[in-house]
Amino acid sequence: MEALLVPSLAKVERIIQETPDVRTYRLKFKDDSLMEKFSWHPGQFVEFSLLGSGECTFCISSSVTRKGYFDCSIKKAGIVTADIHTDLEEGDDVGIRGPYGNWFPTDDIKGKNLLFVGGGIGLAPLRSLIQYAIDNRSDYKDFTILYGARTSADLCYKEEIEEWKKNTGIRVVLTIDKPEDTWKENVGVVPKILEEVVKPEIANTKVITCGPPIMIKYTLQSLDRLGFSPEHVITTLEMKMQCGLGKCGRCNIGSTYICKDGPVFTYAQLKALPDEF
Amino acid sequence: MSFSTFVTDTAGLQKMFEAIISKHETYAPVEKFGKFDYKKVSSLKECNPDSPIDATMSVKPLFFPRASKIIKYEASSAGTSIHETDEDPIAGKRVILGVKHCDARGLQVLEAVNKWDYIDSDFLKRRANTVIFSTRCDKADTQCFCTSLDYDVENLDAMDVAIINGPDGRIYLCARTEKGENFLTQNPAPGSRNPEPIAQEEMKKQYETFAASFRLKMDYKDVNEKMSKRFDSPAFEEASRNCVSCNTCAFICPTCHCFKISDEKIRDTGLRYKSYDSCNNAYFTLEAGGHNPRPAKYRRWRQRSMHKFVYYKERFGVNLCVGCGHCAISCPVNISIFEVVNHVANAPVES
Ligand SMILES: Cc1cc2nc3c(=O)[nH]c(=O)nc-3n(C[C@H](O)[C@H](O)[C@H](O)COP(=O)(O)OP(=O)(O)OC[C@H]3O[C@@H](n4cnc5c(N)ncnc54)[C@H](O)[C@@H]3O)c2cc1C
Ligand code: SF4
Ligand code: SF4
Ligand code: FES
Repeated sequence: MEALLVPSLAKVERIIQETPDVRTYRLKFKDDSLMEKFSWHPGQFVEFSLLGSGECTFCISSSVTRKGYFDCSIKKAGIVTADIHTDLEEGDDVGIRGPYGNWFPTDDIKGKNLLFVGGGIGLAPLRSLIQYAIDNRSDYKDFTILYGARTSADLCYKEEIEEWKKNTGIRVVLTIDKPEDTWKENVGVVPKILEEVVKPEIANTKVITCGPPIMIKYTLQSLDRLGFSPEHVITTLEMKMQCGLGKCGRCNIGSTYICKDGPVFTYAQLKALPDEF
Repeated sequence: MSFSTFVTDTAGLQKMFEAIISKHETYAPVEKFGKFDYKKVSSLKECNPDSPIDATMSVKPLFFPRASKIIKYEASSAGTSIHETDEDPIAGKRVILGVKHCDARGLQVLEAVNKWDYIDSDFLKRRANTVIFSTRCDKADTQCFCTSLDYDVENLDAMDVAIINGPDGRIYLCARTEKGENFLTQNPAPGSRNPEPIAQEEMKKQYETFAASFRLKMDYKDVNEKMSKRFDSPAFEEASRNCVSCNTCAFICPTCHCFKISDEKIRDTGLRYKSYDSCNNAYFTLEAGGHNPRPAKYRRWRQRSMHKFVYYKERFGVNLCVGCGHCAISCPVNISIFEVVNHVANAPVES
């Protein structure tokens, strides 16, 4: 027995095909009392297992304010995630450990404008915070959501994004890498649209960003150029993990445990880490 | 708290060991193909508590098993169920004889990572249930450098009972923890007695002779400090060039604690294991999609040596390497962590 690593069973309630290679799995613990007690902050993650295949790290992509379930949005990327996409059906059971890790500073960002910059599956952790902030709308000022993907088919949460657009005080800017016939919104990579189209207000704004490493790299440079101070830029790291709770050594960068001290960091904190991510 | 010291001789010690083995679940180094590994023993004849340091495997697997079962699961049309695995075979009360000082120190160092934040109660329970008898070596092996590291040799608090050879065949049994004290009182060596105050002097002398026998010495605080300034040094590449990434050094190390979680499936039932892994593995940080933050061998060796000599200390206040020298003894290409860290520490600082 390794008590720390034993998962609890959860049932897949619903599967939503977001994009050709991303699906959202809506989950509910089989033990009702566990579901009731289960609480998390936006930005935290779980260790999700397809029993017999293995365990993977996924952020919880829904907000605790939406009761009775939690979502994991999973991109087919390697061995276990491919098995999840192939084998897992509605009604099946999975193993869950968590929630683990730190979270977006929901209190520090109160009273601020929020600028979300997401790419591809990187919208998953942001979605948890967006839902949370929508459900606590009066705590926050204006939101801007810049979201990009390679093609329009690769945009996650399409229906929900339409809902977001209807909210007052939420500006949604979408972009894809190359033009498409029926596409009426922006074309161009996220950092370019950020600087040329979004042109965000800097005062009293917190930026929350997540996406593929290359997008993050150029987005951080753009934010620098726009004049955001690194303390106001928040991102979440995806180092490879295994235990998720500060024991296995997998996620370490220097003396930092990404699974415990992170995955959420400010850009200022990232700059202080050894260059190993 | 001060603890008792008793004095006995070889015959008394043997009798005490025999009595312990007959009364308690006891583990001790057992020889196989010239190497000694800790096994459960039923007589003193089977084992060798004085096994040579250079041929003795670490006692770590008795606390952190090479592979342990996390869960067993079954899937059927009725649904999935998760079962606890068989009762932990190494969780009961037990005694271990012949643990080397450096190795006992390794367990003490490992406590830090196992009890910060989430507590690994399995590890802590195994240690709490164990009485460790540790014999201080009389002489260093060629790869030993334990005396260079930050262990308080006066205190010797990593073991429950320290056994120290005095002059004229005298053997001192020193309780070093409350658990050791109680155990020694309840299981005394036949004919042992409290020694005259001279014991302290003699033990100190033994230590000085022992310390003088070391070939390898370093000022480890200086090495700590210098390494922390040399993250970008090409010295890491030079020092690790020959490594064939076999991971032997990590698997035999008393303080390496990286692990992986893996599933084994047979039809509708399966097991999940926790087993050793190493940051020297090329795939250790390889992410799905192909990105690898440590794609080159020197980066992995940098992680290994910096974790041992800088990061763990930064985080938990103790050095992770205990200077047992086993990695150097077992490495197929003669890489020694002692040489690596000294090479890096003495390299010029990159500007
Ligand atoms: C904090 C955090 C949150 C994440 N959130 C999401 C999310 O919401 N949606 C999503 O699709 N992906 C997310 N990821 C990435 C996801 O964990 C990997 O894509 C996934 O583990 C790949 O597993 P695999 O078995 O298919 O790949 P393989 O390459 O076959 O990996 C084998 C094992 O290595 C580990 N591993 C491999 N790549 C990663 C990685 N990038 N990060 C962590 N562990 C890895 C896993 O334990 C995995 O089982 C997140 C990663 C982290 C660290
Ligand atoms: S790194 Fe080498 S010398 Fe240091 S504790 Fe591990 S095996 Fe012993
Ligand atoms: S034992 Fe030697 S060759 Fe093997 S991984 Fe360690 S340093 Fe490299
Ligand atoms: S994932 Fe195991 S220590 Fe962070």
